[in-house]
Amino acid sequence: MATELTEVEALVSNRRYEHGFVSDIATDIVPPGLSEDTVRLISAKKNEPEWLTEWRLKAYRHWLTMTPPEWAKLDIAPIDFQAISYFAAPKEGPKSLADVDPKLLEVYDKLGVPLHERARLAGVAVDAVFDSVSVGTTFRKELAEAGVIFSSFSEAVKEHPELIKKYLGSVVPPSDNYFAALNSAVFSDGSFVFIPKGVRCPMELSTYFRINALNTGQFERTLIVAEEGSQVSYLEGCTAPMRDENQLHAAVVELVALDNANIKYSTVQNWYPGDENGVGGIFNFVTKRGACRGYRSKISWTQVETGSAITWKYPSCVLFGEESVGEFYSVALTHHRQQADTGTKMIHIGKNSKSKIISKGISAGHGQNTYRGLVRVQPTASGARNYTQCDSLLIGKHCGAHTFPYIEVKNPSAVVEHEATASKISDDQLFYCRSRGISKEDAVSLIVDGFCKAVFKELPMEFAVEAKKLLEVSLEGAVG
Amino acid sequence: MSVFLQSLLDAFADGDALRPGHGLPWLDVARRENRQALASSGLPTTHDESWKYTSLRTLDQRAFASSDALATQHTIDPAEFALPEADGARLVFVNGVLRADLSRLADLPSGLDVQPLSAVLQGDAESLRVFLARNFKHPAESFARLNAAFAADGAIVRVAPGAQITTPLHLVFIGGIASTDIAWHTRNIFDVGEGAQLSVIEHHLGVGTHANLGNVFAEYRLRENAALNLLRIQNEGERASLIQRSEFSLAKHARLHLNNLDLGTALMRHDLRIELLGDRAHAAVRGVFVLDQRQHVDNQLSVEHRALNTSCDLFWRGVADGRARGVFNGAITIHAGADGADARLSNKNLLLSAQAEIDSKPVLEIYADEVQASHGATVGQLDESALFYLRSRGLPLAQARVLLIQAFCAQALAHIEPAGLREHVTQLLQARLPQEMPA
Repeated sequence: MATELTEVEALVSNRRYEHGFVSDIATDIVPPGLSEDTVRLISAKKNEPEWLTEWRLKAYRHWLTMTPPEWAKLDIAPIDFQAISYFAAPKEGPKSLADVDPKLLEVYDKLGVPLHERARLAGVAVDAVFDSVSVGTTFRKELAEAGVIFSSFSEAVKEHPELIKKYLGSVVPPSDNYFAALNSAVFSDGSFVFIPKGVRCPMELSTYFRINALNTGQFERTLIVAEEGSQVSYLEGCTAPMRDENQLHAAVVELVALDNANIKYSTVQNWYPGDENGVGGIFNFVTKRGACRGYRSKISWTQVETGSAITWKYPSCVLFGEESVGEFYSVALTHHRQQADTGTKMIHIGKNSKSKIISKGISAGHGQNTYRGLVRVQPTASGARNYTQCDSLLIGKHCGAHTFPYIEVKNPSAVVEHEATASKISDDQLFYCRSRGISKEDAVSLIVDGFCKAVFKELPMEFAVEAKKLLEVSLEGAVG
Repeated sequence: MSVFLQSLLDAFADGDALRPGHGLPWLDVARRENRQALASSGLPTTHDESWKYTSLRTLDQRAFASSDALATQHTIDPAEFALPEADGARLVFVNGVLRADLSRLADLPSGLDVQPLSAVLQGDAESLRVFLARNFKHPAESFARLNAAFAADGAIVRVAPGAQITTPLHLVFIGGIASTDIAWHTRNIFDVGEGAQLSVIEHHLGVGTHANLGNVFAEYRLRENAALNLLRIQNEGERASLIQRSEFSLAKHARLHLNNLDLGTALMRHDLRIELLGDRAHAAVRGVFVLDQRQHVDNQLSVEHRALNTSCDLFWRGVADGRARGVFNGAITIHAGADGADARLSNKNLLLSAQAEIDSKPVLEIYADEVQASHGATVGQLDESALFYLRSRGLPLAQARVLLIQAFCAQALAHIEPAGLREHVTQLLQARLPQEMPA
C-alpha cells in the first residue's frame, strides 16, 4: 500500500487554486501602518458618527495592551501590523448596483457569484465585499418588502444607527481577544442583517468576500440579528488572489437569536492557501460567536474550510435561552503546508440547552489540522445535553491531526458526550472501490465525500455542490 | 515569593549537609540547580495550560516543615497498611523517611534487589546519576524540581533479567502523622531487566490528621520484554496534599499494566507519563477516582507512541460528589514514524452533586498515518431507567444508587490480580461511596 499512498499523495499535490487571479481595478489604498490616525482615517472615510469613531479608538487602545495568542497549535511567523494597509476600496464607488464598475462585475462573474440582474435566477441575495468595502447588495427591494434589512455595514450605520448601537460588540466585545480588538478598531465593512419578529427570510442571504489589493488586510464585520420567531439562512464565501506574501484576514461575526429565532450560518472558506512550499496564503483569524438569547432560539454554524495558510477560527454559541440549541458542523482540510486550528465553544447557561458538534478534519501533505473545542455546562444549565464527534482522516506520512477537546461540567443533570477517532483512508475501502473499476482519484474522492457527508448535508444545496467540488480540487493528487 | 516555597527553601540550607548523598559533586550541583530554578519559577499557576484546572493558591500560602525529626518514632500499627496477598518484600516510608522496623527486606526472591535510596547514596551512587542529575526545563515542572532538590529517600528497585517476581513488592507511603505540617519528597526508581516481570503495589495512606504534603517522583524503566504490573492505591488523609509524577519508559515488547485507585487527599495531582519507545510496547492503564466534599483530584495521563506497532488502552472512571472537583487529562501522541500504533482512551464520569465539577480533556496528537486512534469522554449521571428497575425490584433508592455507582467503577478494577486483592480494593472503594443519598 505504501506505493499506492505515494501515488495518492502525488494526486493531491497538484492542486489548483482557480480563484488566484488578480484584477486590475483602480483602488484607493491607505498607506500601510496602524495608529490612532489610521483608525480615525478609516472612520472618516466612512463618514461615521462620533460614537463609532470613539468605539474604534477604545478598541485600538485596548489592542495595544494585548499580545497575540500563542496557545493555538500553529506555527506562524510574526505578523508586522505596521506593514499592512488597513483600507483598500475600488476608486469608483458605486451609487447603486447599476453603477458598479463593469470590471468588478466581471470579477464576480469569474468567481461565479451572481451579482447582476440575472442573479434573480439564482435566488440568493448577495452582499459583495471587495477588499475593504461592500460593492453592492442585491435584492434589496424584495427583502425590504418582507421587512428584512440586508445591507453593507457602513450603510446600516447610517440608516439604522439604533440597531447597530444596540447590538455591535454585544456578542464579541472589542476586548474579547487580540484579533477581535484589532478588527473592532479597523473594520472596514461587512454585512448587517436584521430579521424582524415573525419573519421568515424569503431567500438565502449571502456575502462574498474578495481580497484583491496587494499588501492589504481584510477586516470585515458581520452582524445578524434575528428577532422573535424569525428565521434566516446566511451563506459566506471567500477567495483571494495568489500572492507570495501572506495577507491578513481578521473578521468578526456576531449573531443574536431571540425567542424561537433560528439562524443558520454557512461558510465555504477558500482563501488562497499558499503554494506547496507554504509561500503566501491568507492568515485567517476569525472570531465568530452567536448568542442564543431567547427561549428555544437556535444557531447553527456550518463551515467548510479548505483555504488559508493559517486558519484560527472557533465559531461558538453561548446558549443563554432555555431549550436553546447550538450546532457546529465543520469540514477542515489542510494540505501542503496549511495549518488549521479550528473548532467551537458551546457554553450552556440556559436550562435544557442542547448542542451538537460534528467536526471532520482531513490532513494531507504536510498539513496540520487541529480541532480545539470547549463544551462548558454552567451550574444553571440543568438538563443540558451535548454530543460531540470529531473524526480525522490522515493522508500521507507527514501530516498531523490533533484533537483538543475541553469538557467542563458543573451541573449534575447535564449529559456530555465526546468521541473522536483518527485513521487513514482504509485500504479495504480503497481496494473495494478499485476492484469495482473506480479509479484511484474517484475512489478517494468518494471516500472523502462519505467521510464529510454528515457536514455536507447541513449545507444549502448550492454550497454543498461547491464544497464537494472544492474538496475534490483541494485533494487532487493527495489521497491514496 | 510564596510562603510555601519560602518555608522550604529556608530550610534547604540547614538540612543540606544532612541529606544523604551530600558531597557527591554531581548530586550537589543537580540539587542546587533545581533549587535555583524553582526559586525563580515559583509554583505553576492556572495560566500554565497543564495546571488550568488546578489552582495551587491555597497551597502557596501555607508553610511546611521540611523534615520530621520524629519520623522514625511514630507508632504505627502494621494492620493499617496490611493488604491481602501482599506478603512479599515491603518498604514503609513515614513522612518520607524509611522505617526499617516496619519494612521487610529479608529473604528477597532471587533476582529482586530492593534498597532505600538513602543507602544507595551512601555507597556507589554512580548508577543513579542518570536519574538524579536531571534538570527540568519547563517552568510548570516545579514539583519535579522540588523533588530533585529535596528528595532524600525512596525505593531503588532492580529486577535481574529474566527474574519473575509475581508476589507484589509492597511500597507504603504514610503521611499525616506528626505534630506539625510536613512536606516530604520521595524518589523511586525501578529498573526491570530484560524479560523480567515485576508486581508492585504502591500504597498511600494517611494516619493522623495533619495536612502534610507528599511529593513522590517515580521512574520505571522497562527493558525489552519486561512486564510491570503496578497497582496504586491512594487512600491518603482527608487534609493531605499529594503531588506525584510517574514516568514509564517501555522498550521493545515491554508491557505495562497499571491499575489506579484514588480515594483520599484534599488535593492530589498525578502526572503519569508513559513513553512507548520500543516496537510492540504495550500499556494498559485503568484508573478510577471517587471524590466527595472539597476534594480536588487531577490526573494527567500522557502516552507517547514512538516506535512501530505500539499500543495503549486507557480507561478512566470518575465520580464526583459534594463540592469535589475531578480533573482528567488524557493525551495520546503518536509521533512521526510510529506506524501501526493503536491507541484507545475512554473516560467516563459521574457527576452527583450540583456543587461538584468534572473537567475532562482527552487529547489526540497524531503525526503518522498508519494508525488507529480513538477517544471518548462523557460526563453524566446515573441511568434513570436502571435506577427505576432496581427500585421496582424492591431496592431502596439510596442502595440502588450505590449499587450503580459501584458497577460504574467496577470496570476500572476488573483487571486487578489476584482476586483477593481485587476484593479488598473493591471494599475500600465501597467504603467511600455515599451510603445516604438525597432522593
